[in-house]
Amino acid sequence: MKEVIVHPERCVGCMQCMLACAAAHSKTGTLISAISESPRPGPRIHVGAGLYNEGFPNRCRHCNPAPCQMACLPGAIYRQTTTNTVLINPDVCINCASCAMACPYGVIRYHADPLAPAGKTIAVKCDNCIARQHKGLIPACVEVCKTGALTFEEMDAAMKKKTDQVARSICAEAVPADNAPGFSLLNTIKRAQKEINLSR
Amino acid sequence: MHYVIIGNGVAGVTAAEAIRQIDARGQITMISDETHPPYCRPMISNLLEGAVDVSRLPIRGPDFYDRLSITPALGSRVTSMDINADTVTTQNGRTFPYDRLLIAAGADPRPVDAQGMDLDGIFFMRNIAQVQDMIAALADTRHALVLGGGLVGFKAAYSLLKRNIAVTMLIRSGYPLSMQVDETAGEMIQQVLCDHGLTVRTGISATAFEGNGRVQSAHLSDGSQIPCEMAIIGKGVFPAHGFVPADRIDTDAGILVDDHMATSAPGIYAAGDVAEHIDIARQKRWVNAIWPEAAAQGRVAGFNMAGQALAYRGSLSRNVMRMFDTDVMTAGRVSPRDTDETCRFFSAHDPRRGTYRRLVFEDQILAGFVMINQIEQGGVLTSLIQSRTPVKISAQHLLDPGFNVSRLIGR
Repeated sequence: MKEVIVHPERCVGCMQCMLACAAAHSKTGTLISAISESPRPGPRIHVGAGLYNEGFPNRCRHCNPAPCQMACLPGAIYRQTTTNTVLINPDVCINCASCAMACPYGVIRYHADPLAPAGKTIAVKCDNCIARQHKGLIPACVEVCKTGALTFEEMDAAMKKKTDQVARSICAEAVPADNAPGFSLLNTIKRAQKEINLSR
Repeated sequence: MHYVIIGNGVAGVTAAEAIRQIDARGQITMISDETHPPYCRPMISNLLEGAVDVSRLPIRGPDFYDRLSITPALGSRVTSMDINADTVTTQNGRTFPYDRLLIAAGADPRPVDAQGMDLDGIFFMRNIAQVQDMIAALADTRHALVLGGGLVGFKAAYSLLKRNIAVTMLIRSGYPLSMQVDETAGEMIQQVLCDHGLTVRTGISATAFEGNGRVQSAHLSDGSQIPCEMAIIGKGVFPAHGFVPADRIDTDAGILVDDHMATSAPGIYAAGDVAEHIDIARQKRWVNAIWPEAAAQGRVAGFNMAGQALAYRGSLSRNVMRMFDTDVMTAGRVSPRDTDETCRFFSAHDPRRGTYRRLVFEDQILAGFVMINQIEQGGVLTSLIQSRTPVKISAQHLLDPGFNVSRLIGR
């Protein structure tokens, strides 16, 4: 089963994933019409700025066991085992924010949503685009990401790739490999700018 | 193997589910004085508010007992236990033998010392039946009195305000939620409810209730009198372990348990509001009678009872409330009664946005916080307290409204 993998070191903070996510979770499904919908669809991936303004795409990790699921008062949060996805049933959610207190990554938002009962404020988070996946599409955030910060891969293969990277880096003859050279330069510049501004 | 679980609250339920994950064949008996199917206790305030009906409260399907092959024994609470004979006995005289016992008996509301407590219209708010009685009494209620400015008091007051009932809250201490938050946050919360019609009186308590069958007025400690057709007692709870022989099982405020939720008596475990483990933020023994900890403790107890060793990391006091357009989240040590001069405090108050944050540090370890509004990232802070991870970045970053988890990650 493929899953969304985040490579934060490659994120330039362009926020296109947020737009694509909101559009994918709108009633009409396209960005141009989604912006005039009411309620306006919200993103379920949140690009934040790190300490040096480097981008960071923050999305639900679909933890197992999921702290939000265990904390959910009305039992609205459940796991769809076929896609390894933690989902929130908008009909059952009571907007109590118990999941906000439980989520160690801070990825749940609370608002009216096009896919929820009209006028009801509910907890909203990443659903791995399972509606798109049913149509044979990949998650919208991955599709739109231009830098490879978000990929859709078999977890085992992705783990193997990362393990190999780590193994190479600790080998005695290893030359320190930069896995994302352009991005490292960009983030170094951002960091320098921030530090210069701070020292002024 | 015969497992007996005292209590069908969330601790008992998660324990039974954990046992069944390991042991499909052992016999499980669940004893409770409540006859409702297992339900979500914190949601009784939503029931009082009228936001949900009673059908929304069960936390498991109607087939819960059948599905897990549990024998329910409902309607009568356990009143005694015989540790030598390995049995527990209920009020109606039934005796249950056990090989492994879980005490998840929960807590009982703390009574108040006032005259006329037997009048109709005076309620505790602890279970569905009490809230259903309150709802039945709402039609004849114009003024309600809430005793206590804690979480239950606030939720009761909020629910009654939503039902357009005039509510007066009596608080013995100087500001509401004084066990959970600092004075600034307490006053902000009080202001929200006062803006919606709540009357708050601090440093005062009720001494007597008067009425002809049903309560009509209350006498207060300052000598004044106040009309009320309903009074709700929200003065906290105490662990319901009166039936536990204190000479055989170590108890303090609650039943003392180790990391495996085992009591000092072999084969006997405790979990939920009745159990006393270590508080992570305070680093000492503490009863945290809250729903998420009860769920977590029940699960750990169940695995250990069925023979799968699993350790519990300790409990953390925490709460989140939404009242009108204001959200409050708090965890760990924030109240002045829980902090001292060894703590470092950081706070940010933005009156224009209506936000407030206060962080309490012990060296580099986050020990507590309160947030008013913009609470979405609160779970990150909660998890910092729980993991006791030293925070290497400036506390100002955690106060920043643009804060996100990436700021904690070193590159």
